[in-house]
Amino acid sequence: MSDVSLRGVRKSYGSVEVVHGVDLDIKSGEFVVFVGPSGCGKSTLLRMIAGLEPISGGDISIGGKVVNDIPSPQRGIAMVFQSYALYPHMSVYENMAFGLKLAKTPKAEVEQRVREAARILQIEDYLERMPKALSGGQRQRVAIGRAIVRNPKVFLFDEPLSNLDASLRAQTRIEIAKLHDTLDATMIYVTHDQVEAMTLADRIVVLNAGIIEQVGSPLELYRNPVNTFVAGFIASQRMNFLTVTPSGDGLLLPGNRLLTLSHAQRENARTLGVRPEHLQLASPEAAHFSGTLSVIEQFGEYALAYVELPSGDLVTVKLDGAPDLQLHQTIHIGLPAEGVHLFDEAGRALR
Amino acid sequence: MDSTGPSRTAAIALAFMAVIWISPFSWLILNAFNPLSTGQLEIPRAVGLDNFALAVSGNAGRQFINSMLIAAGTATLSVIVGISAAYPLSRLRIPGRNAFLWTLVLLRMLPSAGVLVPLYFAAQRSGLLNQLGVIIALTVLNLPFTLLLLKNFFDTVPIELEEAAYVEGASLLQIVTKIVLPMSRAGIAVVWFYSFTGAWNEFLLPLIFARVQDAFPMSVGLYAAFGQQGAINYGFLTAFSIIYAAPAVGVYFLLRRNMNTGFAGVGVKG
Repeated sequence: MSDVSLRGVRKSYGSVEVVHGVDLDIKSGEFVVFVGPSGCGKSTLLRMIAGLEPISGGDISIGGKVVNDIPSPQRGIAMVFQSYALYPHMSVYENMAFGLKLAKTPKAEVEQRVREAARILQIEDYLERMPKALSGGQRQRVAIGRAIVRNPKVFLFDEPLSNLDASLRAQTRIEIAKLHDTLDATMIYVTHDQVEAMTLADRIVVLNAGIIEQVGSPLELYRNPVNTFVAGFIASQRMNFLTVTPSGDGLLLPGNRLLTLSHAQRENARTLGVRPEHLQLASPEAAHFSGTLSVIEQFGEYALAYVELPSGDLVTVKLDGAPDLQLHQTIHIGLPAEGVHLFDEAGRALR
Repeated sequence: MDSTGPSRTAAIALAFMAVIWISPFSWLILNAFNPLSTGQLEIPRAVGLDNFALAVSGNAGRQFINSMLIAAGTATLSVIVGISAAYPLSRLRIPGRNAFLWTLVLLRMLPSAGVLVPLYFAAQRSGLLNQLGVIIALTVLNLPFTLLLLKNFFDTVPIELEEAAYVEGASLLQIVTKIVLPMSRAGIAVVWFYSFTGAWNEFLLPLIFARVQDAFPMSVGLYAAFGQQGAINYGFLTAFSIIYAAPAVGVYFLLRRNMNTGFAGVGVKG
């Protein structure tokens, strides 16, 4: 039993409340990612679960037991820090054995557990080295190894990949996914990178300004964001938002063309959201809106076209392959009804 | 004119400077190793360690031990008190802690002769007119800089390391002894060695506090060695001076080695 549950968890510093009552159930063995912009309280929430920050209100339980007043070492958690937090004056082996030695674990068992973790992470060759003699990726593995040897119920990761370069980050991401599969432990992972959130998570928790905006699987969040914040945050290319006016049996788009739509709540729609990958080029007659191409980014397998509408809106269109488009040429864009998300005045999704 | 070639005038001038620099040292060494020393700068007719034997036995030997006790005691006590005070100053958000530290340093800027009288009476009242008194007084005088130095060293130990150790089950004492102190050992070495040399060289306080010959450290002993028994024994005096200077030189090399092997850095990138 290593489920984690949060009940009305709050955190304030003096009179400033930064986490405003969070309720969340994390099942045993689940990989949950907290994601959100900086300052949204995701790290604070993780540190409260870790026992590094006292909580100002509510209950945190791990394995069915309220741990509000239980000090960190007895919570059965292990934490991987953003800066790795390796002890620079100890070898890799000593770093990994530190916690076990403190717990007066028999020497043979320490040895066996460190070797086992080193084998899983493929760092057996570095055990006698000092941290400063390791590369960033290797240090990251040692930090994870230090967590594994303690055999915790819950792993906590605080932005563990943000100090690695892009290619190493992608590689380590895959390794963390594999590790979760191997260890079958509960993992809570904090990141501001929505790619890490999408690829690693069983469930994503989107936080904004100290409250949970939405909890769901990556695809749920991608397909059915509950509001404009989640819609704009999830997925690699940001969703386009256009101001619309309900009119007759459809919505009036910028440029005054009508999008006919049989949506039950279209009367309340104020904002239309559509992902760049759902937009497509169209003939001038069939187009829903048109504009001039102001920037095009070619990635080879796809291209991103930034189209400026006469209304001043900038719309991103993701096009397959390497389209032959000229800067400043007129682009006609079609809007397929199935890719459309509607939001009301307050930014809530209309279903 | 060839401006890069050696010039005769420059060579003479440099040689002259070299002689001026070297002559006191050669005088010191030649006399120290000459058992029949007269205090003249001359090539000794005999070479021996008799002077050194004299300088480490009897009264002189006791003074060496006294000096060691005072210097090592002051350095160790400064480090222990300094660590216990500087760590909380570094980690706790005590209001006005920096103003407090700098005020202490300002007070320390007063010449120690200025606080000698109150120090003397305080020591007299508490029965500390002895070596322990000297050690305590010197430690107190050392503390402002010790605190400032150690606090700055502790500030460089990332708090995440302590948090990591805490999550792994380390107590506060274990965090300090196993993480913070080993990582600050360069700073601790600096403080220890500086306090050591400072206390080793200290003349005024031991002179006032230790009023019997048995309690004199070398600094006071050297002063007293002039004109003892009517005549000056230059051989003894020079050997005594060399022994007196040796720890300072030794400390220099120890310090250099410690600074080189000090803080390795946590290194987030790489």
